[in-house]
Amino acid sequence: MRDGPVGGRPTFTLVQVPEAPPSEEEMAPIFSTPVQDGKRREGDIFRPGPGPMVELRGVIKTYDGNSRGLAGVSLQIDTGEFVFLVGPSGSGKSTFIRLIIRELRPTSGAVIVGGRDLGELRRSKVPYLRRAIGCVFQDFRLLPDRTAAENVAYALQVTGHSQKEVRRRVPEILSLVGLDGMFDRLPRELSGGEQQRVSIARALVNHPRLRIADEPTGNLDPETSLGIMELLLRINRTGTTVLVATHDQHMVDHMQMRVIALDEGRLVRDEESAGYHEEPGEAMA
Amino acid sequence: MRIGMFFREALRSIRANAAISVAATVTALIAVFILGAFIPSFMYVRSAVDAQKAKVDVDVYIADTATVPQVNALRDKLDGLRTDGTVAAVTYVSKDDALRIMRERLRDPSVLDELPSNPLPAKFNVQPTDAEDADVIVAAVKDDPALDTTEGIVYPEATADRLLTAAKFVQWAGLVLIGILLLAAVLLIGNTIRLSIFARRREVEVMRLVGATNWFIRWPFMIEGVICGLVGAAAAVVMLWGIKVGVVDAWASGADTALTKTGSAAGTITFPLLTVVLVGAGALLGAVGSGITLRRFLKV
Repeated sequence: MRDGPVGGRPTFTLVQVPEAPPSEEEMAPIFSTPVQDGKRREGDIFRPGPGPMVELRGVIKTYDGNSRGLAGVSLQIDTGEFVFLVGPSGSGKSTFIRLIIRELRPTSGAVIVGGRDLGELRRSKVPYLRRAIGCVFQDFRLLPDRTAAENVAYALQVTGHSQKEVRRRVPEILSLVGLDGMFDRLPRELSGGEQQRVSIARALVNHPRLRIADEPTGNLDPETSLGIMELLLRINRTGTTVLVATHDQHMVDHMQMRVIALDEGRLVRDEESAGYHEEPGEAMA
Repeated sequence: MRIGMFFREALRSIRANAAISVAATVTALIAVFILGAFIPSFMYVRSAVDAQKAKVDVDVYIADTATVPQVNALRDKLDGLRTDGTVAAVTYVSKDDALRIMRERLRDPSVLDELPSNPLPAKFNVQPTDAEDADVIVAAVKDDPALDTTEGIVYPEATADRLLTAAKFVQWAGLVLIGILLLAAVLLIGNTIRLSIFARRREVEVMRLVGATNWFIRWPFMIEGVICGLVGAAAAVVMLWGIKVGVVDAWASGADTALTKTGSAAGTITFPLLTVVLVGAGALLGAVGSGITLRRFLKV
């Protein structure tokens, strides 16, 4: 994928990793996801099997009043895919993501994640669903009174990892996203881009099967954005499903991945190896 | 390992919301203090009433003409009541004893020397196990042939009835008051903890979004509540101790000299036991208060 149109850039590594891109060994903490071995991890609620990772069947979501979230969307995202979710503000991208992590429930239709119909998922199982999905939120959603390291550690503590393992894995992953030397800073002492990377580290540290990022490059400079995309791409190559909601046109054009476009809650385009906008030629066809 | 982590989380939360934690602690302090002042007072009143109840006794007077077998039959009847538990004690007071008691009571006993013979009847002084059983005893012996026809049976019926009513009232009023106090304390602490959680609802939401189970979120808040409850209870116990030593004990020793003959029977809960009860109540208040409040915040 590196041989895309923006290949002129020297590296896609993260800004704080100055020398070479991280070695495979350094990436081990996020690449060790057991996706293909069919083994179920402890507390894993995803059903093993070849089915799609995410499936929406005629999903309608209306909010109080008349505002539309989604207006009848059906689609599938297969295990191991890398998908961009694009569309203008208010097109339903965030609703889509919040339905997948069951922060919201559809007004009608079914949302199926990892073989589980979320409409039938018991409330007590929702935390396990969320652990299996690493989500980077648009507004980061960091815990304000905790340092960068503590924020990442929380995601590990939630899943019952030992203190020893937390101490080992947190610095690893924070270094990986380029936050060396900032482990003990509180979110308010970090820049927007740095907070975003803490959020990414938190989403990666649990080896989720499905990684979702809502505007992961929203407030970042182009170089950092590319670094993050590169990281997501490398994670995807190990078999992890990646879903990125963005309106970073440049990024989408550059990556040439599957693109799902929403507009006013409707699916308007679903295309492999595509750019941000419809090709004028295809529109005619 | 997990317990340690939950404790660290609770302490972090107390530090982060110092003002609210202090408010919860003060709430617990006030609630426990009132409870701690009320419990011993209530128990003192109850025990005083019980002591009065114990003084309700039945005097069964024996006719001078009664034969020895008749008196023995009456004694057997009363002993029978003692074996079935109605009667606590039976004391025989002979004519001579009665006269001697009378002599001791009179300021000028020489008037008794004028009497041609001893006019006082002998009696059985019967102590009921429960003041309410006085009626049973009276019913059992009222037609006994050995009974003195003029004196008959004497017991303080009106006093007994009034005491029993008072005892029941004290008991129920006390229980209701304690119940209301506890409920108010739980609601107050719950409210305070709700402020703490409300201040951090975004945080709780984030915790849920990264996959924390409800109990994982709940434990630190519960521990926070228990810590506030315990600290408040401890402070209340210290204040109560000061009041007991400085005020109540001093007053009670003064009262004892003035009312030597009545004060001694009534007691109350001991301070160490009260401390245990109050500290337990403080911990429970904190846990229940935060537990109830959390339920509503963990639904999404």
